[in-house]
Amino acid sequence: MIETLLQTLLNGVAGGGVYALVALGYTLVFSVLGVINFAQGALFSLGGYLTFLLMGGRIGVNGALPGWGLPGGLPFPLALLLAAAASGLVGLLVERLAFTPLRRRGADPMLGLITSLGAGVVLVNLLQILMGAEGYAFPQGADALGGLPAALAIGGARIRTIQLLLLLVSAGAVLALPLWLEHSRQGQALRAVAEDPTTAQLLGINSEAMLRLAFFLSGALAGLGGGLIGVSVSLPGPYFGIGYGLKGLAVLVLGGLGSVPGAIAGGLLMGLAEALVPSEASGWRDALAFAILFAVLLLRPGGLLGRRQLEKV
Amino acid sequence: MTPSAPPSPPLRRGRIEQRRLGSLRLAALLAAAIGATAWLGRSTDPAAKPLGEGALLLGAAIAQTGNANLYGQDQRMGLLLGERWGREATRHSPARMVRLQIEDGGSDEPSAIAAFNLLIRQGVIALIGPTLSQQAFAADPIAQRQGVPVVAPSNTAKGIPQIGPFISRVSAQSSVIAPLSIEEALRREPATRRVAVFYAQDDAYSTAEVAIFQKALAARGLTPVTVQRTQLADNDFQTPITAALQQRPQLVVLSVQAVAGGNLIRQLRELGYRGQIVVGNGLNTPNIYPICQRWCDGILIAQAYSPELNTPINTTFRALYRQANGHHPPPQIAAQAFTAYQVLFEAIQRLQAKGGLSAVTLGQARTNLMGELLGGTYTTPLGPIGFTPDGEVVQSRFYVAEVRMQPNGRDGRFALVRERQLQHASGKGATP
Repeated sequence: MIETLLQTLLNGVAGGGVYALVALGYTLVFSVLGVINFAQGALFSLGGYLTFLLMGGRIGVNGALPGWGLPGGLPFPLALLLAAAASGLVGLLVERLAFTPLRRRGADPMLGLITSLGAGVVLVNLLQILMGAEGYAFPQGADALGGLPAALAIGGARIRTIQLLLLLVSAGAVLALPLWLEHSRQGQALRAVAEDPTTAQLLGINSEAMLRLAFFLSGALAGLGGGLIGVSVSLPGPYFGIGYGLKGLAVLVLGGLGSVPGAIAGGLLMGLAEALVPSEASGWRDALAFAILFAVLLLRPGGLLGRRQLEKV
Repeated sequence: MTPSAPPSPPLRRGRIEQRRLGSLRLAALLAAAIGATAWLGRSTDPAAKPLGEGALLLGAAIAQTGNANLYGQDQRMGLLLGERWGREATRHSPARMVRLQIEDGGSDEPSAIAAFNLLIRQGVIALIGPTLSQQAFAADPIAQRQGVPVVAPSNTAKGIPQIGPFISRVSAQSSVIAPLSIEEALRREPATRRVAVFYAQDDAYSTAEVAIFQKALAARGLTPVTVQRTQLADNDFQTPITAALQQRPQLVVLSVQAVAGGNLIRQLRELGYRGQIVVGNGLNTPNIYPICQRWCDGILIAQAYSPELNTPINTTFRALYRQANGHHPPPQIAAQAFTAYQVLFEAIQRLQAKGGLSAVTLGQARTNLMGELLGGTYTTPLGPIGFTPDGEVVQSRFYVAEVRMQPNGRDGRFALVRERQLQHASGKGATP
């Protein structure tokens, strides 16, 4: 019984960590621009596919270049980092195509919702054309972890090593980001821009550069999440990131718009709530997650930590 | 600011007249638009037009996008090979030309409906599709209402041919074949007593097939020790697997779609399950190999098609498939799509020879074709098949296959382990 509970908790925390990663990406952009980047889910998919290719995976028969792959393959940690960085760069491209033209014309920032959604749809369709719609699993599966066993026993609970890795990496990223924002010079500059871009500009901070940094980090977090989920449960198709993107959006609202600790708390709460639903009631899993969101918003309209968290990113 | 004075009576009358005139104009415009639409609709209904002597258009609405794309891509391959086979088979004989038009039927009901409507408006003689049973229940009634023959290549949920006399299928019946894999698993491990079942509770195919599996288990005196319900979109199954493994199952039965199934198998093995795994028709595609990789090895599946069947038509199909797709043997879903094209092509040629396509409208040709289709027998890659009067496939040859993966774990094949001849089996079951 204890083993089952422990296992369920580990599953929930690992899943919640990924939701938190996606929600943090949303939070960064929301903080500096006041809009939601709907391309986040597509960047999540992109991160998964890039990690796959960098690890030596080959394009399937339904892709644009069947059988094509990079010569050799990188170790998983390096592939994951490079894929996250590349997703960050594509995040910058999204900013340039979907948000910059609107900002320059002084358009309502809310229009960015539609343009970013469009950018996300284009990105997912490009992935489908290039990679095909078939599922991909990482070349070496669990062996990608350098010969580690496929599963580990922790306190009597059996957990897949990949899942544990997912938990550790997402926890690392989720904890490192607030520290970086708090203590690094760039992190402080980003927070200043989020607080008041005009004043930040007067203080000599390049607001545009900070904005680009936010989009890069946001894309990188999504790419990191995509790579981790991909190695854990394979890539079921180019659309797989959209579901995580939507869940991340719910987590963003649950935690409190623009709140970094809120995104983390919301992600964990959502992951645990889903993991605790028994299989007999699995049809109610999403309903439960959104019922929690509804209940929290009724009691705290600003989200879990939205109101208390005076200092935004 | 002072309020404006009320208009004088003549001015007010003038305005009322203007409004009345405006309303009349608007009503006339609307009536004209409705009339024009009705006239255009009538005049462009292809069913009312005489059938020309040119190539007949054969429509296919299959999933090219969305989750069912995994099956749709195999189907596209099968259809294109069918078209190539048809061209080559009739190269030296007078034959009615048939042109294949493939549209994306997506993975949901609205996309399938849109694709059916588009193809019907284009004047197809018959339709192949859609990919999923769930889509068929929504799209087939449209073809039925307009009298367009439909041959379903992959949906076998209960009641599909019964949608109407224009609906038929070539897909095999899970109610007959699914128990064969259970039978094989129990033949290998007769002492099996503890069975775990997994299925996607929000999927029509899965819920129908799992009932067939459970019935087959019950017939052998087995009650599942656990039934784990998942969702179509699930890929992380650690929680249900944890719950199932606590029951120490000796046999696991899966009825889920391909990607979920591949993940389930992989995670079951990673979490320590070593017993036999029987899977349903949703995993009847080589697209699972990249997902479960070496963990796919040994899973048992009942099939309506075996690439190892050495009949002349299957040898031809296999050769065409290998030419187009490298060294891989053809999967069942591609073979069924090929068969759907083949039966329609052959029925068209027979009808042409009988004069059933001469001096008739497209609508009459469609009706004639449906009669010809159901009355024929066909030697296909699936084996000899025919139809019941209500469009249900009659197939007697079925197979149990075991997935055997190559040592590198990246590729594999469905190796034939048993062939069964069943008498007058007709389709009642479930497919993706």
